[in-house]
Amino acid sequence: MNLFFISILVIVSGGVFTLIFRRQFILMKIIGVFMISAGCFLGLIDAFSKLFNPGQYSFSFNYLNTLALSFKIDNLSAFFLVAIFTVSLLAAIYSFHYMNKKEDALRTAVNYLFFSLLIASMALVVTAENIIAFMFSWEIMSLSSFFLVIYDYQSPENRKAGYLYFVFSHVGAMFIFAAFGILYGYTGSFEFTAAKNLNDGAKILVFILCFIGFGSKAGVFPFHVWLPHAHPAAPSHISAVMSGVMIKTGIYGILRLYGLLDLHTPLFGEIVVIAGMVSGVLGVVYALGQHDLKRLLAYHSVENIGIILIGIGLGMIGVSTGNPTMAVLGFSGGLLHVLNHSIFKSLLFMGAGIVIQKTGTRSIDALGGLLKNMKITGVTFLIGSLAISGLPPFNGFVSEFLIYLGGFKGVALDKTAFVLSLLSIISLAVIGGLALACFTKVVGVVFQGEPRSHAAEDVDEKGLTMLVPMLILAGVCVVIGVFPGLFFKMALKGISSLGIGYSIPIEPFLRITENITLAAAIFFVVFLMILAFRMILYRNKPLRRSGTWGCGFTQPTVKMQYTGSSYAAFILEFFRPVAPLKEDHPAIQGRFPGKTHYHSHVNDIAELHMGNVIIRPILWMFDKLRWIQHGDIHLYIGYILLAIVVLLFFI
Amino acid sequence: MIKSIVLWALAILLAPFFSAVILKVKAFFGGKKGPPLLINYYTLIKLFKKGSVYSTSTTFLFKLGPMVSLSTAVTALMFLPIAGQQPVFSFNGDVIFILYLLGLGRFFTITAAMDTASPFEGMGAAREAYFPIICEATMFMILILFYMLTGDLRLAAYFSAGQPLGLWHVAGSPLLFVVISFFIILLTENSRVPVDDPATHLELTMIHEVMVLDHSGPDLGLIELGSFCKLFFYSTIVASLILPFELGHFAANIGLFAAALIIVYTAVGIMESVMARYRMDRVPKFILTSFALAFFATIITLEFIK
Repeated sequence: MNLFFISILVIVSGGVFTLIFRRQFILMKIIGVFMISAGCFLGLIDAFSKLFNPGQYSFSFNYLNTLALSFKIDNLSAFFLVAIFTVSLLAAIYSFHYMNKKEDALRTAVNYLFFSLLIASMALVVTAENIIAFMFSWEIMSLSSFFLVIYDYQSPENRKAGYLYFVFSHVGAMFIFAAFGILYGYTGSFEFTAAKNLNDGAKILVFILCFIGFGSKAGVFPFHVWLPHAHPAAPSHISAVMSGVMIKTGIYGILRLYGLLDLHTPLFGEIVVIAGMVSGVLGVVYALGQHDLKRLLAYHSVENIGIILIGIGLGMIGVSTGNPTMAVLGFSGGLLHVLNHSIFKSLLFMGAGIVIQKTGTRSIDALGGLLKNMKITGVTFLIGSLAISGLPPFNGFVSEFLIYLGGFKGVALDKTAFVLSLLSIISLAVIGGLALACFTKVVGVVFQGEPRSHAAEDVDEKGLTMLVPMLILAGVCVVIGVFPGLFFKMALKGISSLGIGYSIPIEPFLRITENITLAAAIFFVVFLMILAFRMILYRNKPLRRSGTWGCGFTQPTVKMQYTGSSYAAFILEFFRPVAPLKEDHPAIQGRFPGKTHYHSHVNDIAELHMGNVIIRPILWMFDKLRWIQHGDIHLYIGYILLAIVVLLFFI
Repeated sequence: MIKSIVLWALAILLAPFFSAVILKVKAFFGGKKGPPLLINYYTLIKLFKKGSVYSTSTTFLFKLGPMVSLSTAVTALMFLPIAGQQPVFSFNGDVIFILYLLGLGRFFTITAAMDTASPFEGMGAAREAYFPIICEATMFMILILFYMLTGDLRLAAYFSAGQPLGLWHVAGSPLLFVVISFFIILLTENSRVPVDDPATHLELTMIHEVMVLDHSGPDLGLIELGSFCKLFFYSTIVASLILPFELGHFAANIGLFAAALIIVYTAVGIMESVMARYRMDRVPKFILTSFALAFFATIITLEFIK
């Protein structure tokens, strides 16, 4: 346990030191990056060793002599710690060249401070063992990420995004508090382990409240509204950490609570699977409609959280129907997808970060042809895109494959379990297809073709520390995709502390990963054969370069290229009922029409209805309560006294 | 094992021949003599001999596209039982792997098209990205049905070792729907009429053909070979379903299988001769029909057979 706290200490002191050394910009960055990444590295080693050496690692101390803060690292925590420290380590290195505005030295230092606090609090959230420690870390995590989101606070749009995030994370926290309040009310104990003693009705209530609370952090539809606003506002390495690992703490919460409540009702699985399917499909549909690169990636987080929930939900159904294979496949698939998503999503956000830094625009339709000048960024982004689309031989496929296998096990069950398994298989298939469409759009429009505006011309990709993390992450995508054995074993270890009631034999499951390795090897051999065949065919052949064939049109311009909007329009038409399109396009009139324009915006129905269904009634209610606020300080003190007296009666 | 490898190699070698059957049937309906049955080999040899012209807009992805799409099709054939024989490789869940591998091929075909900066190729790419989504849903629906019947996730379990004859015995009527629905998928995935018209003269209306406009020489040859293999893959599935009989002798089985394949390719040819291509916005409805059929088949199986 010591090494873990040392690593936390190193990370946080790295953040504090940047404030001290803010006058020397480069020195400050060196110290900050070095200490944060060194701390993450220590933590990573510690998490790995704890994952593979089973044992009890716990630590507790009294805070203010009354509240006990206790922490424990079991396999599930260690699994999440691996993801948290890996992504944070690489994001810290990435930030060295990314945070390059010398005139904003103080802001950069503050950014490093909150970044280090965010990493530390995430690590504490997944190791917390009682309610106090958990909520304490959870709040630090929410607040530090809020300050990271409003890094660029001068833009009103970002302030709005920050505000939205603040409201959502605290409403979410309110639900979690309510759930923990019930827990405390029934058991009188702050210990998580006491949750077992609740009665079944209370357990269900606690689970539902927590699912809403954790779901709003994880970005489950319809609580995801903050996500597509906050991610684009934050600096890219922060988006990578937030999207890659911070939202996964919501998943951790759901899993941990499921393990603690130890109630194997089919209801939990049903809730989780349905939420997963809705988030998965709608997330990717909205992603397709985005014009902003980072918003698009943010919606993909909603989609991938959906996939993870489908996996976990299938696991829960497997447990409640007494189907151990399905349970293990579902849970391990979901958990492995947590790791996989944290890797390829942070890779994609880092890639988007370089693109935005070099071109100065986030608009997909203004870019194009970047692959020619940004080879490393382009290739790593391509690998990330293949991985997120769930294609073999990359890591996204492995976890989706496991979830599929779990889903097919559920097809053999009856009634509700059958219907849900069937629907989750079909939704996974549809999600896969849509993700492919979405990422061919991003790669095709941003990195290929010709530059659509001046912003995308003559870019470079200088910044070694930005490229190295991306290369590492892309490498990991391929390694997990081809040799998933070790990582699958990690996921199996992780779910062993869920307490699903049976020990998990590793051998039969490892055969699945061996098959994936075999299949990938076959594909590589075939590919190499065809590559050799092609090289023979092209020996001593004349190769010429010429313009693209314009189908008889001789004056092509870059403006004629297919844009991202037009690429996605046909598919979005199909999903119009859930993704209403708002278009602004004045009709062309006369023989010599003047300049015209076209704006389109895909509305998110959750965001669209949130205003009418929730915000307006709340505003109305508070408007009616305005008489309480009259500005008279005496009466305010009276309120406080009254509240204390009332509370005394109840407690 | 040797037998399987020979069959796999034969499948790749003979795929161009079977595709020519479609042309012959179309020529027959048009009252023409039509090209020789070996036309596709001539075309391939011609293309392989040539050099290439590359657009100045393209990158290495443009060259990667044809290779990846051919490799995926060739790899897919390795997992497919041909003429009721065991496939070269087989493992639990290989169907899912194959479906996703074909997705990988599609990804690279699309990126190769987007690489050219041509508006037409972008148009084709957008359609290529859209239609297979519904196809995939249908395929997984059929897979669920097959899983319910056999409890297995290997192609080898559906199309070899006495199957799919056994499936017909157990669930004959739902399988009829499956055949139709698979045929629709075959037409969609391989860009045939009524989804796409490989012989059209207007780039605006094409899907697959417009995506390969800029490829030339051996690269185009690889693409063509890949699409022959892909058509062969889907046709083999339909052929195994329509004539699932086991004749007891290896050669007789091969003969029967070849006859079934000719029937499938002829059906495609007849389809192309008597139908016109659908308007683009009608195509999704056509493909959704296949999903409805597969769904219906599953429900029948669930309610009446199991």
